[in-house]
Amino acid sequence: MLKLKTFLDSDFFYQFKSDRVAIISFSVIFLFFAAALFAPLLSPMDPHDPSQIDIMDSEIPPVWSSSDYAEPDERFLLGTDAQGRDMLSAILYGLRISIIIGLFAVAVQMGLGIAIGLISGYVGGRVDAFFMRLADIQLSLSTMMIAIIVLAIFQASFGAELYEELAIFMLVMVIGIAEWPQYARTIRASVLAEKNKEYVDAARVIGLSSPTIMVRHILPNTLSPLLVISTVQVANAIISEAALSFLGLGMPVTMPSLGSLISAGFEFIFSGSWWITTIPSIVLITLILTINLLGDWLRDVLNPKLYKG
Amino acid sequence: MSTPLVEAKEIHKNFDVGGHFLQREKPQVKAINDVSVSIHEGESFCLVGESGCGKSTLARTFMGLLKPSAGEIHYRGKRIDNLGHKDRMPYFQKMQMIFQNPYASLNPRRTIQKTLEEPLRFHFPDLTDKEIGEKVEEVMTSVGNDPSWGKRYPHEFSGGQRQRISIARALMVDPDFVVADEPISALDVSIQAQVLNVMMDAQEKRKLTYLFITHDLSVVQHFGSRVGVMYLGTLCELADTKTLYSNPRHPYTQVLLGAIPTLSCEEMTHTKLTGEVPSAMNLPTGCVFHNRCPHANDRCKREVPLLRKLDDGAAVACHALEEGRIS
Amino acid sequence: MALLEVKNLHVEFPTRRGVLKALRDVNFTLEKGERLGIVGESGAGKSLAAFAIINLLSKPGRISEGEIIFEGQDLSKMDDTQLRSVRGNRISMIFQDPMMTLNPVLTIGTQMIETLQAHRNISKEEARLIAIDRLNEVRIPSAEERLESYPHELSGGMRQRVVIAIALLTEPAMIIADEPTTALDVTIQAEIMSLMLDLCKMHNVGLILITHDLAVVSQVTQKIMVMYAGRVAEQGPTRDVIQNPRHPYTRGLMSALPQQNQAGKRLYQIPGSMPTLDAMPEGCPFNPRCEYVGERCYTTVPELEDLGGHMARCFKARELKESGSLS
Repeated sequence: MLKLKTFLDSDFFYQFKSDRVAIISFSVIFLFFAAALFAPLLSPMDPHDPSQIDIMDSEIPPVWSSSDYAEPDERFLLGTDAQGRDMLSAILYGLRISIIIGLFAVAVQMGLGIAIGLISGYVGGRVDAFFMRLADIQLSLSTMMIAIIVLAIFQASFGAELYEELAIFMLVMVIGIAEWPQYARTIRASVLAEKNKEYVDAARVIGLSSPTIMVRHILPNTLSPLLVISTVQVANAIISEAALSFLGLGMPVTMPSLGSLISAGFEFIFSGSWWITTIPSIVLITLILTINLLGDWLRDVLNPKLYKG
Repeated sequence: MSTPLVEAKEIHKNFDVGGHFLQREKPQVKAINDVSVSIHEGESFCLVGESGCGKSTLARTFMGLLKPSAGEIHYRGKRIDNLGHKDRMPYFQKMQMIFQNPYASLNPRRTIQKTLEEPLRFHFPDLTDKEIGEKVEEVMTSVGNDPSWGKRYPHEFSGGQRQRISIARALMVDPDFVVADEPISALDVSIQAQVLNVMMDAQEKRKLTYLFITHDLSVVQHFGSRVGVMYLGTLCELADTKTLYSNPRHPYTQVLLGAIPTLSCEEMTHTKLTGEVPSAMNLPTGCVFHNRCPHANDRCKREVPLLRKLDDGAAVACHALEEGRIS
Repeated sequence: MALLEVKNLHVEFPTRRGVLKALRDVNFTLEKGERLGIVGESGAGKSLAAFAIINLLSKPGRISEGEIIFEGQDLSKMDDTQLRSVRGNRISMIFQDPMMTLNPVLTIGTQMIETLQAHRNISKEEARLIAIDRLNEVRIPSAEERLESYPHELSGGMRQRVVIAIALLTEPAMIIADEPTTALDVTIQAEIMSLMLDLCKMHNVGLILITHDLAVVSQVTQKIMVMYAGRVAEQGPTRDVIQNPRHPYTRGLMSALPQQNQAGKRLYQIPGSMPTLDAMPEGCPFNPRCEYVGERCYTTVPELEDLGGHMARCFKARELKESGSLS
């Protein structure tokens, strides 16, 4: 309770309260995450279950519009896709998959990045040189390029069936591993600044071992900037996943993410069934935009004076 | 004479600067050149000098935060600078340090209680929570802090309060020897006296030995029992405080003493010192002070003066004094 | 007519927790060629006073009341264009960090010539000659060559000399120096201070010296203003204030100096620390730390008591006088 009260009283919360963009972004993101979390409860049907899909219901437009082929149906608020899958359910489940991949990929990036950045910054010398050159090489190859090569090879060598089962895991790992240098560099820079501060010397004078000092003293003081990059990185990971899915290397159509929904609906855009691709696109764009807006706001608030001492 | 509590023997410390990893001979800064100091039990030994003279480097070498490039550090006659981390453990408890900047020396993410408990839990893992709580309370009270501060974070305190918390942390493990690296120079005038008093009280009560690093000679006169004056990595004069102030021998010490502003209302006059402190990357030959010294001659430019003991116990490294050109 | 007359100056900072009154009721005059020292601890409002005088407060700070009459014009009512013709021209600033004045990517010469040409209608060659002249005045060896140097090629003391030379370029009527020697070593500090003193006398320039060091002020200025918690605690002729302080705070500050205490004994200390602006005590802001505190002090803020040119904001100013000077 006391912690909550200090938080509500803090400058951080005050600045949040007085910034409309921050409030709106946060609310939208919160809604999306809640929708993703409760997707099974909110959706009218389970889009992953083929037995609930009726091909006769295909390409029904959203309730407010009309089309030449089919009448709107009250059962399908946002219409259906080419297989007769309810778009609302598909989007909710797709959002869930996109967010899961985004969060877990960032968790992988963060884990790798923090460990490497911390060791690199604290130990210095050759270890530092090795990891940082590795990061340079990694950054000179674009994430998409690595992801496309790895996923294509995997799909070709293990077959589409196995791939479908492991798609989420593969995407998380590929996007996660491809982007660790962002974190490693940020952490390393903070560690270099922190390790010369006197509280680190004080810990050394006590006799604490290097790993203890790194993890217990330096690490907690380097985490604030991570919050800022993490927001941007989550957005990037979601986009990467969507792009890969759009190229057919991401989530399979049977278990669509937002990206695969957009991809699947793309071919129907000229036949008048615009909603199949447009609505998931709007959701994706809104999600990415709000995350980035919140990230920008966080950077403005946290960066100038992280600590007054 | 008894064994000194801590002793630095012929310490040299060089730092690599710049250069890249393929370069064989990196440019070096000679931060300390052949300095020997012994500190006896119960003393308040002060090291004085201007920025870049190597006083803080020497202090850090004493504490093991830096490894000397050459020379030895002894504690009660036992060499400790070459010990591994594990073997050095008992000495971590015996030797503690107080830092200059109270805004950087406390971990901003930790409560005061956690900061104070850490050294205790580390060195005395057998203590119960109750014993630890009592010890924290006892030390906090002894340095004039309210023990109820424990739950709060460093940023909630003023500079003086933080410095007293920092002193409390150093005292938690009952050290014998405390190095204080410019502990009051970042504090306001009215707070400096408070912190000095806390340090003097602690010395009396806990039989501490201090190594006090400062650039402020007026504090030394009050606080120190013996003084070493450093210039560009060398020790130029070593004497009892009283002797040094009543009879400063080395020309640099004289200049340093003359530069202290006083509450005299007399208009400031020029010091006789000319020139700038040379860079430590490129030390002058001979006596490091010769290019600013009014008494320098050819010999001073060629030959490094050695620290020579005088009748009253003071030791001075100056050719002019040795030759009787100055008294 | 006085060179500078500050009347009833108030500065405030609006924050979300209410308006903080950072400076209240500051009054003083500075005659042509006169030197005033503003003394106080960090947060007392001394630097703020200086920035308010040249109307250079950082947002959201603002002058809420008062007049700043400089050479007959009220600076607090001027717009930016008018202010720019005064700042850096008739009034120069010297900061603690010389790099606040010096641009790291331009040579000393370029910076000096540009400053001159911004305020005077003269050729580059004339400006160059004046620049060399000023560098010679601040005793920079081989001034002509130095014009080609970049700031990073100079030592801290040299940089501060260059800053002083730049401050004197436009022949200002007044220089405001904010802790000009705090970052420098003792011997360099003595040199720079005596240099500033000489130059101010030579050019008949008014000086406002802001510092925490009473001793320096006592040796350089003719008038002193001691600030505490945003108010003037005591002001008057330097000699009077130093030799016969009438405010308990000024007394405490001086008594706490190690020079004023017997070596090795506990120092006199003022307990506690200065209140922050958002936690001002009721009545006299010094009451929690004052040893002469009376009942009135807890309810009313004392006015500045005038004791013949020497003023102190204390109910007991007259009684304190009788208890004789310190030291």
